[in-house]
Amino acid sequence: MGSMDREEFKRLMKPIADGLFGKQQGPRYEKPHYTVRPLNEMLKELAKVETVDYYRYAFSRDPINGKFTDEQRKSWAKEAVKCGKEYAQKIRQQYSTSEIQTIAKKLGLDVRYPDFPNKTDRVLFAEFHEPNIVEIYMDAMKKADKFLKDESISAIMKGHTKVSKIILAHEVFHYVEEKYSKEIFTQTEKTRLWSIGPVHNDSKVIAISEIAAMAFAEEINELAFSPYILDVLMVYGYDPEEASGLYEEICGYFDKEGLQA
Amino acid sequence: MSFVIGVILLLTFFGLAYYCIKGHNLMIGFLVITIIWTALPLIGTLFVDQTFLEANKVLQFSDMKGLVKILNGIYQSAPEGWGTTLVNVCWGAWFGRVLMDTGIASTLIRKTVELGGDKPIITIALLNIVTAIIFTSMTGAGPVIAIGVIVLPILFSLGVPKPIALFSFMGSVAAGIYLNPVNFAQYRAFFIKPEEMPDFTLGWYASKWGYAAFGIMLVVTTVFTGIYLTRNKARHAWAAQSRTPQAAQKDAPLYTLILPVVPVVLNIAFNFSVIGGFVIAGFLALFLCGRMTGTFKENCQLVNKLYYDGVVDTAPLVGFLLTLPMFNAVAKYASPYFSVVIGDIMPRSEIVVCIVFALLLGMGLFRGPMTLVGCGAATLGVLSNVASFSVPFLYAVFAIPTITVNIGSCITQSWVAWGLAYSKVESKDFLKLSIPNAYVTGILQYAAIIIFLGGLGAEWFIK
Repeated sequence: MGSMDREEFKRLMKPIADGLFGKQQGPRYEKPHYTVRPLNEMLKELAKVETVDYYRYAFSRDPINGKFTDEQRKSWAKEAVKCGKEYAQKIRQQYSTSEIQTIAKKLGLDVRYPDFPNKTDRVLFAEFHEPNIVEIYMDAMKKADKFLKDESISAIMKGHTKVSKIILAHEVFHYVEEKYSKEIFTQTEKTRLWSIGPVHNDSKVIAISEIAAMAFAEEINELAFSPYILDVLMVYGYDPEEASGLYEEICGYFDKEGLQA
Repeated sequence: MSFVIGVILLLTFFGLAYYCIKGHNLMIGFLVITIIWTALPLIGTLFVDQTFLEANKVLQFSDMKGLVKILNGIYQSAPEGWGTTLVNVCWGAWFGRVLMDTGIASTLIRKTVELGGDKPIITIALLNIVTAIIFTSMTGAGPVIAIGVIVLPILFSLGVPKPIALFSFMGSVAAGIYLNPVNFAQYRAFFIKPEEMPDFTLGWYASKWGYAAFGIMLVVTTVFTGIYLTRNKARHAWAAQSRTPQAAQKDAPLYTLILPVVPVVLNIAFNFSVIGGFVIAGFLALFLCGRMTGTFKENCQLVNKLYYDGVVDTAPLVGFLLTLPMFNAVAKYASPYFSVVIGDIMPRSEIVVCIVFALLLGMGLFRGPMTLVGCGAATLGVLSNVASFSVPFLYAVFAIPTITVNIGSCITQSWVAWGLAYSKVESKDFLKLSIPNAYVTGILQYAAIIIFLGGLGAEWFIK
């Protein structure tokens, strides 16, 4: 090999070794690309919008969204917000506190805080498992809480420094709606998907339940903004480009007189 | 001496299996083993005894001309023979791209979900049926990803745990592959040349065993999904993600939703050309969905772009697929040596083959020695040369570890690997669900082979 040292030889051989023993390359998942926007500007715009006006965004994630008219969606969203707020007041009164962690404890919920890092463009904040387990993924929370230390963002959030409380309240609502499933609007309201003679399939509407959970979290935490803004805030912690794409998409759902994308 | 060479060949076979299982480059692996399996048997003829040579005509060549003829057969004629199969693969990939671009595939999925509503098991059962039907005509990683980015988020939003959603989707894709004319042509070429045995068509195969294999995989996967779902209580997740372009696509007209099955139906019912079916259904889709409203030049560019994208979808496989026929061809020169070593222990009865393969199904995982798109091509070479079985029987015997196990249940399958990364499911969580399903499905499918493909007449054997 003469003057060639071992490292150089290894470097030269690497392409050949990779060709022979490199792993099979499968198709790679490539994320869509967007222009990155400043987080505070996006949150400032989104904070101006009330929870009910996020209805098109909420329904866009509903698997049976294609069955509904815009009028239906809007009317359900209004009912859902009303329902979420009513139950927040009811629970607050029943347990004489607004402190969501105390409420969760009194309701008998098992709240867990695993770290669970998110590595894809689908950022998972929390999950409610029936009958009574709530998991809040702290990796996302910690990233979001860091942003709240920024003065401009803290001002938009009106001093709410614990994202996990908002998320927990949302999940608590899912427990509450299971508990009151026979009477609560989000569980009793159904839509007929099809019928053949006496056979039919009636379905609950997932978006109604999600909007109500947002309204519940907003009311019980006395927020001055819609919890929907957390979608952009928390995704930003992982991927500012993805969050900017999400922001653009959300703005596209608002009426023309609303925000500017 | 023939025994020693046989043992060395057997060791290289296990070496190849290890290489495949470790996930190394399949094309290079098969190219290297082809060269070894060419050199050892042919050089070996200089050292083996005369009776062995006289008993095996394939190893007889008198001069340089004879040797060159053998080498040309392995390295030229064999991959050339696969050209006809490759053409089907390219047109199939184009048709898959057309169904994605026109929104037909995504509309089919959305309409199906709208029938199921908030009941996950009904929605999953319906989605599995539609997914399987779609993949009777679409194939390749591109289409699976395009459908996956629609189906998986829907299942997640219904509260279906991610490993279950992924397992169910991948299982139903594999069910569809059982009736896919492109895959049929591709695997058929492992056993016979395209022009051989003209009666062994997709229609014949489907009516004899294909429908049963399709149905078994679909039903068992759905039943397993139901069982897994009852164990996992429903969940609500708060997650955020920007929408994929596919999810935001406009609905295609309802009457176009029949088009995905047109090429398969034409082929099965009338033995009509597969490529002809793709062209007819593909252009109908483009016109009926309003994708051909541009200028003549723009329309030409669109058709060409879809063809380009489709071929790119299949490109990673092409090198491997065109190396495999060399290996298939060389296996017959190695088989006399294998016969000396393992000829006596290889199963010769159809029932025994089915039982052994059913027991060893797990070896179809990780590109092991049972799957045709892995080291199984070598097993086929050995098995078909030391014992005599009908072509449809052998096809079905190898189709199960290839489709049910490798394509539907293994993390080395390209689109399963994509699904794991996309949905953030751990490999072990996916395999915990997919392996039991692969075994139950596979055992039932082997039972169906014995019933429907056992004891076929002489016309189904290679002359």
